[in-house]
Amino acid sequence: MWTEWCARCHALDGSGKMQEPPITVEPLDFTDCTVASAEPDADWQLAITHGGPAVGLSSEMPAFGDTLDADQVQGFVEHIRGFCEEPGWPHGNMNFPRPIFTEKAFPENEFIVLPVMSHRSELGVTRNDVDLVALYERRLGRRGMWEVAVPLSHRSTGGASRGGIGDIELAYKHVLSADAARTRILSAGIEVALPTGSEARGLGKGTPVFEPYLAAGTVVGDTYLQAQTKVELPVDGAQASRAFVYNLYAGRDTSASPDTWTLGIELNGENGELALTPQVRKGLTKTGALGAAFGVRVPLTERREQGTRVVGYLLWEYLDPVRARP
Amino acid sequence: MNLDRVVQECRHAALAAALFAAFIAPSGLDAQQGGTVTGVITTKAPGLKPLRVTMDQRVCGNELPDEAVVVDTTGRLANAVVTLVGVKSPTGATSGGVMNEKCRFAPRVQITRPNAIITTSSKDPILHTTNAAMDGGKGLFNVAVPVPGIKISKPLNGSGLVRLVCNTHPWMRGYIIVTDDMAAITGADGAFTLPNVPAGTYELRVFHVKVTAAPEKVTVTAGQTANVNFELK
Repeated sequence: MWTEWCARCHALDGSGKMQEPPITVEPLDFTDCTVASAEPDADWQLAITHGGPAVGLSSEMPAFGDTLDADQVQGFVEHIRGFCEEPGWPHGNMNFPRPIFTEKAFPENEFIVLPVMSHRSELGVTRNDVDLVALYERRLGRRGMWEVAVPLSHRSTGGASRGGIGDIELAYKHVLSADAARTRILSAGIEVALPTGSEARGLGKGTPVFEPYLAAGTVVGDTYLQAQTKVELPVDGAQASRAFVYNLYAGRDTSASPDTWTLGIELNGENGELALTPQVRKGLTKTGALGAAFGVRVPLTERREQGTRVVGYLLWEYLDPVRARP
Repeated sequence: MNLDRVVQECRHAALAAALFAAFIAPSGLDAQQGGTVTGVITTKAPGLKPLRVTMDQRVCGNELPDEAVVVDTTGRLANAVVTLVGVKSPTGATSGGVMNEKCRFAPRVQITRPNAIITTSSKDPILHTTNAAMDGGKGLFNVAVPVPGIKISKPLNGSGLVRLVCNTHPWMRGYIIVTDDMAAITGADGAFTLPNVPAGTYELRVFHVKVTAAPEKVTVTAGQTANVNFELK
């Protein structure tokens, strides 16, 4: 059926490149493994069943839902994934929605802005902190990803305020294991925080910090489970102390569409500090290339030190089309 | 039978007659009061050369007539749509059908009411798509019609001109005029007839995909036929 139906527009080899295409919008190149592997089956199923506009793609892609049953649709999805001939690319079914704090195990091409705001009052002194982290992530090969994170911070204590750039982080992540049959993924990574922030102004730690971590994800029923453990190892132990960070996320989508709402909750820990972060995430476009999350991090222990924080992110999958194509 | 009873029965009969006059007779009366609008649509635009078929020649043939302008030797134009603006049609199609046959939509032009259900089907053993969009570009649906005999029904929300294209055979075009006004399509002889038009003066519009003409006023008189001809340029 690929030859008789789909190849008319997508080409026999799945590249979408034809000498005399009958359509005006060139289809996605399924031989590009980043295209064929990155998104979950549900996105492809929607496109085949309900047509391109269901996932923000071209209206020239017709709906086959009146012709094919669910198994046949899934057969086409697997055929499309087969155009990626290189083994080792993690399957898009393990590309879970991004939690606010827990590191995703799946590598991404994303630009993210993460704001964190807190307000505390202690012994009559009011403290307002606003942090904004700009994060750029880029996939490297089949399983790798590098990233750079630039934090901007503003501290206001009593009547005094100060702000500036914090400790810039460079990181590399690698997928160690991606089991498509069981929908399990495990990655390892290391972040290096450089002492670019002023320690004197409370914007940095004053020493490089190495932060190796493990990140994992799976699905139980319709619930995503994602976890991360990280150790923070400062080069100069006198400047900063070691820390053990752990995050656990559970969440589920309210629909199969890329612009669905995702409801989730995180357990966040750092040494003895524990917090819960209930959160919602929403794809902002039909393609899901823009997304936003909002949550509140509520301390469970050491409440005075942690304070309640309003958190979230705005992300852009910069290689995907943002708007529906005509 | 006493006199009172006779009087009472006469009253009942009079009441029944009055009810009949009030509720039944007017429709017949309206029909008598209605008129007919007829006409012939012509154009000096020439017929078009056949289209070269670039794919699926075993089903479509090597060429197909270009139905964008279907005109006979005397210039009479088929597939033009004439609409009496603001005159609601007492009848009209609440559903329509589009057949994909030999790589063309049949019928090429049709009229339905708003919110009609349109059913697309196929006689061709090849993949067609029925991609429906409003004239302004708003997409309504695009369904694959890949096998003969399949029937797929979709609602036509909105009113106005709906354009149909097949994304796998770019020459295929269809048009659905969605309106609850009285409307008719010209046949191969360019003629149209709008019967049972209430008496009055109306605007008569004509639509064709390639040629056009300004609207005309038409005055309809009960029991008579008004003739309006258009020449489209």
